Amino acid sequence: MIGGIIIKVAFVAALAASLFYFRSRGLLRPKELNIARNAYHAATIGVMSAFALLLYFILTHQFQYTYVWNYSSSDLSLPLLISTAYAGQEGSFLLWALYTSIIGVFLMVYTSKKEYEPEVMSTYSLILSFLLLMLIFKNPFAHIWDTFPNDLVKSGVIPADVTNFVWLDQAKGIWAQFPVEGKGLNPLLQNYWMVIHPQILFMGFSSMAVPYSLAVAGLMRRDYSSWIRIATPWSVFGAMVLGTGIILGGYWAYETLGWGGFWGWDPVENSSLIPWLFCVASIHTTLTQRKSGAFVRTNFALSLLTFLMVLYSTFLTRSGVLGETSVHSFVDPGMIVYWMLLGFIAIFAAIGFGLLFVRMKEMPKVPVEHSILSREFALFLGAASLTFIAVFVTIGTSSPIITGILKGKASAVDISYYVKTNLPLGIALTFLSGLGQLLWWKTSQSTPFLKRLIAPAVFGAAITALVLALGSEEWQILLFVFCAGFSLLANLIVGAEIYRGNPKFAGGAIAHIGIAVMCLGFVTSERYDQKKTMALEKNKPAEAMGYQLKYTGYRPNADGKYGFVVEVEKDGRKRTVAPVMYFSEFTKSVMRHPDLINYIDRDFYVAPLSLEEAQVGAREIQQELVKEQPTQVSGVTVTFADFDMGNFEKGAMVEGKDFAIRAHLDVTDGKKSARLTLTMKGGGGQMPTFIGQDFVDTKGGRYAFNLIRIEPNREDKSQSKVQISVTPPNLPEAKPKDETLVIEASVKPYINLVWVGTVTLVVGFFLTILRRVEEARLKE
Amino acid sequence: MKPKVIIGVLIIAAGIVLSAVNFVQSNVEYGDFATAEKQQKKIQVKGEWVKDQDSFFDAERAQFHFVMKDDNGKICKVVLDGAKPNNFELATSVVAKGKMADGHFHATDVLTKCPSKYEGDAASVQKTL
Repeated sequence: MIGGIIIKVAFVAALAASLFYFRSRGLLRPKELNIARNAYHAATIGVMSAFALLLYFILTHQFQYTYVWNYSSSDLSLPLLISTAYAGQEGSFLLWALYTSIIGVFLMVYTSKKEYEPEVMSTYSLILSFLLLMLIFKNPFAHIWDTFPNDLVKSGVIPADVTNFVWLDQAKGIWAQFPVEGKGLNPLLQNYWMVIHPQILFMGFSSMAVPYSLAVAGLMRRDYSSWIRIATPWSVFGAMVLGTGIILGGYWAYETLGWGGFWGWDPVENSSLIPWLFCVASIHTTLTQRKSGAFVRTNFALSLLTFLMVLYSTFLTRSGVLGETSVHSFVDPGMIVYWMLLGFIAIFAAIGFGLLFVRMKEMPKVPVEHSILSREFALFLGAASLTFIAVFVTIGTSSPIITGILKGKASAVDISYYVKTNLPLGIALTFLSGLGQLLWWKTSQSTPFLKRLIAPAVFGAAITALVLALGSEEWQILLFVFCAGFSLLANLIVGAEIYRGNPKFAGGAIAHIGIAVMCLGFVTSERYDQKKTMALEKNKPAEAMGYQLKYTGYRPNADGKYGFVVEVEKDGRKRTVAPVMYFSEFTKSVMRHPDLINYIDRDFYVAPLSLEEAQVGAREIQQELVKEQPTQVSGVTVTFADFDMGNFEKGAMVEGKDFAIRAHLDVTDGKKSARLTLTMKGGGGQMPTFIGQDFVDTKGGRYAFNLIRIEPNREDKSQSKVQISVTPPNLPEAKPKDETLVIEASVKPYINLVWVGTVTLVVGFFLTILRRVEEARLKE
Repeated sequence: MKPKVIIGVLIIAAGIVLSAVNFVQSNVEYGDFATAEKQQKKIQVKGEWVKDQDSFFDAERAQFHFVMKDDNGKICKVVLDGAKPNNFELATSVVAKGKMADGHFHATDVLTKCPSKYEGDAASVQKTL
């Protein structure tokens, strides 16, 4: 109740802030400005209190709230309880609003110093108010009896054993029962990643609203250049935070969820990558505008798109529109959220691009003066490649929508689409990220420039040769490796030169080094990985890819789940991994978590597949056959011809006499055919016994057939059925076998390059922020 | 025309062609077992798991065998590379991606669809009262 009111008040305050900021622009109107600021602060306090209140309800297990009941339970640890505040859709919108409001407080101070506050904060507050509007309709504070009125709202006398109730209308005797326990958190989310990853991701999403607001403010003011200096530190901050969030998500998928790799081109992953790519592209094109004044419109468009893509991605993953086509099961949130998100996109696209269109004609046309051998042109091509990747990923992720419209039936693209389309662009990007650094602004003298190319090119070739030593690859991958190596040394050289001049200016070079190292890590760990599926019988050593593996049994972990211990021995050093499998009541299925050993030059990765219990005999397949309908059973075609009821029809069983029923089957493997007779014998009140017959195929494989049940149909003989069991020859022979752990073991060479590259990239971003903040300050 | 403009136009044209071709090629269309038998292309078949027929995990080959009925009622054996998918028991429908091979549908991927799986429903609220 109170929570819902707080959100409504915060919404009104944010909307008021937007209006008063809008009125206060241009002229000096301290009164309006003051109201606007207070309103914004009120909205922020409102969002913070709403979040605090939700946390309080979760920590005190108030299951009378639908959200708390739906996502938490009283047995969760404190960090996990906190993370349930944003595990569900309502809560994650609240977290988004929380970060948006807090970032806005800093943005207010920052832009007021740059005298840009009214326009920026007017737009930004409008964004916040839209997020709060979503929360009014997806209210995390809904009472559970409002969600399930038919089940929980009752009237009349309260039974003596019901203590968990609340009066809704005592005069009329209407009351509601509420749950005493919550449904709990999805076990997939129950780990420490859940505590940090969404926080970082939403901080990144929230900060993407800043470049949008600044672009709109620039357009409103007819300021087509200086808004960039104010916006850049925020764009770089957003790219750094969101980039970190994306990679953390990848590491979560790799280390805990067991997707096998850190990137699966899944819609949820893509949806955070797309805005990041637009953001990074805009960082590059704004850099050109600072130097030469070009790309005025492009910079507006990219900054607007960065935020609009956050909204579109949210629409893709939250509206249920991809529902049928992804590994993730998206909850269908109802039509309200669907249309609100679409409206959200439409309104902010209309504001941004509408203004851009109106102002387009009066923008200065800067004659492009740079040559092909200029840093500007390399930056342009690089930004274009980034934009293309973003567009292709958007198209791929939206393919269920596109095919739904074109063909009437939604279908997703295969992962190979992303690799095929993006690899050539990746090659171009890595090459340009090295080339651009070696080029001068405006134009470069070709001879000295070509000399500078030699060392990086030789280094790239050397790296390619090293990678080739791991095994052969297709030429595009090798070209990608060459370009990454080229870029690595080019940026190292340039970075070292800049670093000697001013260390703070080296951010760009360091970020590019990080990207180049990451790209090398992608290739070695994803293209040169080795995989092997192993069935590890208990205490029997097995060998895979040069590692000695031995499954020694399972043991309970601290959390009560079972770890399956595998000893891994390599070069005399013995270590153990203990991947986890358990049955989850929550998802009603087996959950699997991998384990890995991190060596300096590779990971040894063990994903559990299943545990096969100790068995004594061969496995049989059960199959139901309908009369005269050929059915495939384990490689042979079986047709149930007819029953031979013998003396059964004459009432033999009723009289307690011995009887025999025979079922005739025609079995063929394509070349060899045989008629088998399976017999059911009974009598004397005993349980019937079954006598089977074997079929030997062309290759000499023996299929054991037997009867399980007969279902004669007297009215319609063609509907007579028989249930049989078949033990095919290609399945394990009848030999005793101990408990067996089935795993997929893989070796991922040089995967540490990915993580080292990531850290380097973040350091590069951070240095760039420091530099650009300082630069923006100098311009005040 | 300036060389830069030509380069730009060429890159954009190449990009669009590349994307369109890849998009069409890698789009995994929906079909049923009847269409799967006719063509060699990878398709995805929606249907449901026939629970009363035997399903098992072949440890030697790490393949999960089960029987599936497509939306047109045709029943086919499916062999999946990998373990039993998560939420398999709960799924109201499954989507198998793959193609026909040796009389069975060889799937590389099986998605399980559980409508409102994590959403609170009336039955589960009764359980927690």
